[in-house]
Amino acid sequence: MSYFFQIVVSGMVVGSIYALAALGLVLVYKSSRVANFAHGQIIAAGAFITFYLTTTVGIPIFFSFLASMVITFFLAMSVERIFLRRLIGEPIISVIMVTIGLASIIDGLIYLTPFGTENFSFPPFLPQDPLSLGGVSISWTQLVGMIITFIMIGGFSWFFKKSTVGISMRAVSDDQFGSMSVGISVPRVFGLAWATAGLSAAAAGCIIGNITGLNFDTLHAFGIVVFPVVILGGLDSILGAVVAGIIMGLIQQFASGYLDGNWGLNGTGDVMPYVILLIILLFKPHGLFGIHEIERV
Amino acid sequence: MKTKTTLLFNALLVLAVVFAFSASAWAGKVYKIGFSGAITGPTSDAGNPLSKGIEDWFKYVNDTKMLGDDKIEYIIRDDQYKTDVTKRNFEEYLDEGIVFYLNYSTGSTLGLKRDFEEEEMPVAPSSYHEGNLVDSNYIFIPVATYSENVVALAEYVKNNHKGAGNPKVAMFIHPSAFGRGPLEDTKKAVEAGLAIDIVEVVEHGKDLDNSAMLKRLMSKGVQYVICHTVQSPVATMLKDAKRLGVQAASFGEAGKLTFLGAHYTGGSDLIALAPGACEGFLWTCSYNLTSEGNAKAKKQLDLAKKYGRDDKAANSHNYAAGILQAQIPTMAIIAAQKAGMEVNPENLYKMLQKMSGDKAFDSFATVGPVSYSNIDRIGVDLVNIYEVKGEQFKAISSIESEFMKKVRARMK
Repeated sequence: MSYFFQIVVSGMVVGSIYALAALGLVLVYKSSRVANFAHGQIIAAGAFITFYLTTTVGIPIFFSFLASMVITFFLAMSVERIFLRRLIGEPIISVIMVTIGLASIIDGLIYLTPFGTENFSFPPFLPQDPLSLGGVSISWTQLVGMIITFIMIGGFSWFFKKSTVGISMRAVSDDQFGSMSVGISVPRVFGLAWATAGLSAAAAGCIIGNITGLNFDTLHAFGIVVFPVVILGGLDSILGAVVAGIIMGLIQQFASGYLDGNWGLNGTGDVMPYVILLIILLFKPHGLFGIHEIERV
Repeated sequence: MKTKTTLLFNALLVLAVVFAFSASAWAGKVYKIGFSGAITGPTSDAGNPLSKGIEDWFKYVNDTKMLGDDKIEYIIRDDQYKTDVTKRNFEEYLDEGIVFYLNYSTGSTLGLKRDFEEEEMPVAPSSYHEGNLVDSNYIFIPVATYSENVVALAEYVKNNHKGAGNPKVAMFIHPSAFGRGPLEDTKKAVEAGLAIDIVEVVEHGKDLDNSAMLKRLMSKGVQYVICHTVQSPVATMLKDAKRLGVQAASFGEAGKLTFLGAHYTGGSDLIALAPGACEGFLWTCSYNLTSEGNAKAKKQLDLAKKYGRDDKAANSHNYAAGILQAQIPTMAIIAAQKAGMEVNPENLYKMLQKMSGDKAFDSFATVGPVSYSNIDRIGVDLVNIYEVKGEQFKAISSIESEFMKKVRARMK
């Protein structure tokens, strides 16, 4: 039975990290309808900034973590200001192409630093012994990662539901022209969406980097790995990202635990989430919590 | 007067031309060698220090006049692990008149194998994939192949397993030809009589948690996990194994998992990614490590220091791999010079085929001598088995895979 519960716990841990990594994609899409293909690079940048501040500048890791979120907040805001602001009103495909180009540029910039080609690891700052209960174990890194994920997701949910800025962002997502007509600054909302996405990406990068070690290829790949999560949850739903992240994590762990190695199966942990994704999309093309828009012409 | 001035001018011109030609003849010849590899992009954690090793070795050859008045002009280009870019680089190198080519990845080596044949260009790749040698005559692998490494690990497990019956082994591999090739050869070694049971094969993904996989392996009685992939997934797995308390404290501890890995799974990068979790990890590699602190290691560190490399590059086994990769054409050029032959691809190919017996060379980068012949295109057959002790890899044994020879014999 402990085997089953270990898989549940592992699935929840992996799923919540997926949710946090997916959050940035949702935030950008929610306000600007753009799928950001440079998200993985921002995840990696956040992790490396934290590492640099901790090991080179000598700032305690907790403050480095907060500082990296602030830095990526402004970094992402600047990216939006410099590259994307002028594309407001242009076809979405143009904006998406710019995010792909942006990914290449950030790749190139990171490759100019040692972080692009070397492996690192955060200095240990949490207890090394895992927490164990009834044969089920979880590391402090995983537990803290999960707690941070839920705090951030809770915070963003509140922000979008209750705060004036959050409601403005939802309004822009719903109807840009309508929002402008009631005095909402659409460019400012786009900038904020990118900035908050950068902030959440940095948090995700730090948590993933703590688990896998700091390797640029591994970190930026998570920008793509979480695409099925946002599609399953609904591109514009924060709750969807959380639920879909946890579903994906659980499916992955259960497939790996019960299917792999049996009946000649292998690697189902990687494949099954996509199979389930396809099945769900057959019935709910907008994802589990995505908004189904009806246009009347 | 005008005629005399013209004559004098013409004579001076002729003298200047003659002098220029003779001076260039006295200055020696220049041989071009090209390298294309992942200096940035995927796998550049290996490719970057490797390219530094290549560059430093060639600088050292020229600075110390190892080739007399002749020089090597090395051209190093980044292909970002993209085979199409590698192909373009190779074609440009051909136009520039290279005499030897250094390649990098398994994919591009397999992809360009036919080009190497058509151009009759001798090549030393950074990929030690056994398949590089199939249907090819011009590829010279620097050290033991990945298959030799993995089968050697399996032999080590078999020879040192203390429990009853065959040791139960799981293979943890990269989901690509790079990972699957050595797995197939290990299975063939088992068919040839290597007494291990391969209980399960795991092709990993981008896993954040390996608990389910590790517990499944434990439930199947697996005692040894042989990895053939890159460091990052191994680091995550080792950290999970430590957390779950399933990591063996000593080799083959009953009821626990002993982790072993081949070439690209280990080295200083693994320790950087999983500090504290890789104690006892066993790793095969044909390169001499600087953590050995021997005379060979000192030479490597001196070379790195001479050309201003940082500690990380200087201590990387990939830096050693780059040195060896550049040493191979250098030694072939020296052999051609000694034989009074022109230095060109054809003659370097001939020289490499004769590089055995007393013509084999010892490299400070490797654990054994480097030799080639017309029937052997693998430079070093020996692999060291290193174990992580106190955050450092230390050699505990050397092995030359006997079963890989049997596998090759059966293939013929």
